[in-house]
Amino acid sequence: MKRIFAITTLALMAILATGGAAVAHFQMIYTPEAALAKGQEIPLDLVFTHPFEAGHTMDMGQPEQFFVVHKGKRTDLLKALKPMEWTSLTNKGKAFETTYKLRGMGDWIFALVPEPYFEAKEDSYIQQITKLVVNVAGMPTDWDRELGLPAEIVPLDKPYALWTGNVFRGVVKSEGKPVPFAELEVEYLNHPPVPGKKMFQKDGLAEAPQDSFVTMTIKADANGAFTYALPKAGWWGFCALGVGPAKKYKDKENSQDAVIWVKAVDMK
Amino acid sequence: MKKAAIFLGMAMLVLGLAAGAMAHSPICTCYDNGDGTISCEGGFSDGSSAAGVNMYVKQGDKTLLKGAMNADSEFTFKKPQGEYKVTFDAGEGHQVVINGKDIVE
Repeated sequence: MKRIFAITTLALMAILATGGAAVAHFQMIYTPEAALAKGQEIPLDLVFTHPFEAGHTMDMGQPEQFFVVHKGKRTDLLKALKPMEWTSLTNKGKAFETTYKLRGMGDWIFALVPEPYFEAKEDSYIQQITKLVVNVAGMPTDWDRELGLPAEIVPLDKPYALWTGNVFRGVVKSEGKPVPFAELEVEYLNHPPVPGKKMFQKDGLAEAPQDSFVTMTIKADANGAFTYALPKAGWWGFCALGVGPAKKYKDKENSQDAVIWVKAVDMK
Repeated sequence: MKKAAIFLGMAMLVLGLAAGAMAHSPICTCYDNGDGTISCEGGFSDGSSAAGVNMYVKQGDKTLLKGAMNADSEFTFKKPQGEYKVTFDAGEGHQVVINGKDIVE
């Protein structure tokens, strides 16, 4: 009897653990600052993680594409990537890093097409095509450019010029076409990385009163456009779920998502 | 009377243009190419081009060089010896002055 009880309890705990995992996977391209006063070399960390809770960090495979677009010109950065290990609050995961020298001024759009990640719990793959826009000197050149990715969030507001409380708007696209009523997840980078280290800081900046505040789910309108007001300074990730055309990978289901990161700054 | 209307229209047009120019700010950054030359890039906060904007390189009150931004809104010049300042001059209220010692590789 005792044994059956124990097994049932374990099974229940397993179900609860899975069911309770409202935290979302988020592919990050992380750099400390989005809006720079002048050109400089910036660090870029590619990490597949759960940003609000700085929890389980997944092992990334070799990315399919990583490039930067500046003044309409695309530069391949795949060969510049170096493997590294990222430390979350609960584990270590395989990630990638590089640095890039921003010369002159304008916008640089970094884009990553990762290798689909196999999520054993769901017996399916996740591929989050991710964008990050960095600006130098305030000259807008490329931020609203559509890169033609299979799944892409095209910003309607500069992702690097947002005061805390501003709204961020974007259009969710699949092969260039808006996705009506696309479902998006929004998460706050609640444990910003420790400067110069490949790890999240231990203390969170905010506390969620309930799971719906950890990964927020919003929807795009009939034109595929969404709006979200940023309540706190820092990095925010937006992920449009399963909008890309690649629904299968290695004979299993694949969720091809579009991610973009934006940074809010306090008015001082 | 007709003349007055035309004059008024023209005045409004001029004022309108001037007001438009007020809404954006000039932007200019320079960097050292590491080969004895300096390159500057200019533009405006609304993304518009700075092609043709006058550029000055000055040492104290002395103007060492006068030039203009090219079609790509860029201006490259030989790095002067000693202290110098670069001025991006897009007209009154639209100037950016950059100190030579802030121009690095």
